[in-house]
Amino acid sequence: MSTILVVEDDERIRSSMRLALEDEGHDVVDVASGEDAIEAFSQRPADVVLLDLMLPGIDGFDTCRAIRRTSTVPVIMVTARSDTHDVVAGLEAGADDYVTKPFVAKELGARIRALLRRTRRADGDADVLSFGDVEIVPDAGVVRRGGDEVHCTRTEFRLLTELARNPGKVLSREHLLEQVWGYDYFGDGRLVDVHVRRLRTKVEADPANPRFIITVRGMGYKLAV
Amino acid sequence: MNRERRTRPGLRARVTVTFAVGALALSGVMAGITYLTARAGFLSERQAEFRRQAYVNASLVQNALRVPGTEVNQLLESVDTLPGSRSVLNTNGQWFATSISVGRSQIPAAERELVLSGTAASQTFTIAGTPEVVVGVPLPGVHAAYFEVFSLEEIERTLQTLALTLAIAAGVTTLAGAAVGQWAAGRALRPLRGVSDAAAAIAEGDLGTRVDAGDDADLSRLASSFNRMADHLQERIEREARFTSDVSHELRSPLTTLSASLSVLETQRDQLRPAGRRALDLLSADLSRFTRMVSDLLEISRFDAGSAELSLDDVDASELVRHAVVAAARPHGSDPFRAPAVPVVIEPAATDMRVRIDKRRFERIVANLVDNARQYGGGVRRVVVDAPAGAHGPGAFMRVAVEDDGPGIAPDERDHLFERFYRGHHAGRRGAGEGTGLGLALVAEHARLHGGSVAVEDAPGGGARFVIDLPVEPVAGSAGGDGPPEGTTSRVVG
Repeated sequence: MSTILVVEDDERIRSSMRLALEDEGHDVVDVASGEDAIEAFSQRPADVVLLDLMLPGIDGFDTCRAIRRTSTVPVIMVTARSDTHDVVAGLEAGADDYVTKPFVAKELGARIRALLRRTRRADGDADVLSFGDVEIVPDAGVVRRGGDEVHCTRTEFRLLTELARNPGKVLSREHLLEQVWGYDYFGDGRLVDVHVRRLRTKVEADPANPRFIITVRGMGYKLAV
Repeated sequence: MNRERRTRPGLRARVTVTFAVGALALSGVMAGITYLTARAGFLSERQAEFRRQAYVNASLVQNALRVPGTEVNQLLESVDTLPGSRSVLNTNGQWFATSISVGRSQIPAAERELVLSGTAASQTFTIAGTPEVVVGVPLPGVHAAYFEVFSLEEIERTLQTLALTLAIAAGVTTLAGAAVGQWAAGRALRPLRGVSDAAAAIAEGDLGTRVDAGDDADLSRLASSFNRMADHLQERIEREARFTSDVSHELRSPLTTLSASLSVLETQRDQLRPAGRRALDLLSADLSRFTRMVSDLLEISRFDAGSAELSLDDVDASELVRHAVVAAARPHGSDPFRAPAVPVVIEPAATDMRVRIDKRRFERIVANLVDNARQYGGGVRRVVVDAPAGAHGPGAFMRVAVEDDGPGIAPDERDHLFERFYRGHHAGRRGAGEGTGLGLALVAEHARLHGGSVAVEDAPGGGARFVIDLPVEPVAGSAGGDGPPEGTTSRVVG
């Protein structure tokens, strides 16, 4: 049984989401504000956080950043519109994925299951993957850079592992969306772009001029060897 | 500006003609006055000179005739005359002349008599087309009269040259006037062209276009009126678009609640009685339609507000279409039926084509066309991908044709088909409640945003054929997409 923290200020939406998620067998904690969310999370860390971006007081972006400071918990943000800067800003604040209102409960359930499945332990053939001074231990779910452990979210870890498993090979955004997020061809490429940016700040010496995670214009990304 | 409709010359032409006519009139009058003044001055000066000459010669002749026995012919020969002038002498009733071309008969009778009666006279007349001046001086002391005939031909030639020069000057002035007129008209009309360009830009949908008021009092009034009009227009259009957007937004919250609650009911479907199950199905089907309607309304309001942006990706055309067709064939939400697989035909020209495209919008185009074919066209027969203008290079475009098995679209309906909420001949024949009425309108908007187009025609072998043409490389500027991941900048909120 997994615990889901639902942060949503609209009472009826909150209640219906609680009903739907409980119906799917999750344990639900629901709160109506960012302050309450940070408080609730510090008392009882959830397995997944469902975070509305438009909140009174501390908004969803800041709430996400606050949670990210202490945890790598998967965060799905709930946005009003998918074509605004909200999506990119939310991803940059640390969200793993997003859904747009009005979302279909089934779709949300599928996204939650995909995130929960995204365990650190990826079934790998190699014990240790490495490039430059970065070392990935798939079995242990650990990333080290120059010997120090790097804190990655599960999504970042999966993304990095996928790139490290295919050194020198160009991986399209569609491929990465499918492998890491479980999306099909029409998944939102911005998920990949923002996560790659975040990953660079963790494993690259100079994130603005990456040496390892390279953008191949019009094609996708590759790990330079 | 519509050239066919213009029935009289343009402002520019009229100003040019006015300037030219003005310059012609002015320079003509000036030339005329100059000519007449010069001519009068010339002639009086020459006539005075002629008279002086004639008097000098006359007194010479008089002195000579006082000496008895003077040979008259020799005397006349010795008289110093101007070039082209000839002397005629009447002494004691006898006529003598220096030239055979001139004689008594050439001197007008009136002057002849006047001089012989003792009065000096001078007269201008024409001999064989040549203007001449005759100056007659009576010499009563020796019973004689001296006439001298001067030619005005040289002066006439000079005056002709002057006239020609003045005419040319007038012509040049006229042309210069026309040029100045054209320049001035162009200059005066330049701000008007600015206004007309701005109006055209607004008509094209660029509502933010404004005119630079400048510092000209006359033009700034026009410019500020124009800008005020554009402000009102923009405000109104934006208000309308915002209203649609706000309404759709407000509908999202209850829709989210409905959808989440319905999913709870659906898991308990088995515990419901048949009527309850049927009601649940109806609820579910119309909720999904309602949801799509709201997202379609939001989508179209973004087009109306001009805030729709392309998010371009570089993808393989055939892969894109295959994925889009598979995604479109997937049933919506809780729709109970499964659609049969749709064949996708890739023409040889399009096999290795790559396109820069907004994948999401393309998926919507295909999904809406497939939906349309399912509802009204008896299902999709096939989807064809082609590159009629080549796979790359300028002008290259991807053509995607969706063919259905329906009765086709009557020619008079084809123009209206892409209008919002157009039902046409299908009015009142709504099927299982699939459409939102905005599907084809959105197809057209998505295509237009890419700089492409959509049309409908008869499919070979019957049925309708919807043809989407999308440029391989959308024109820069029409796209506000986030482009390559590297260059993406984003606003950090919070």
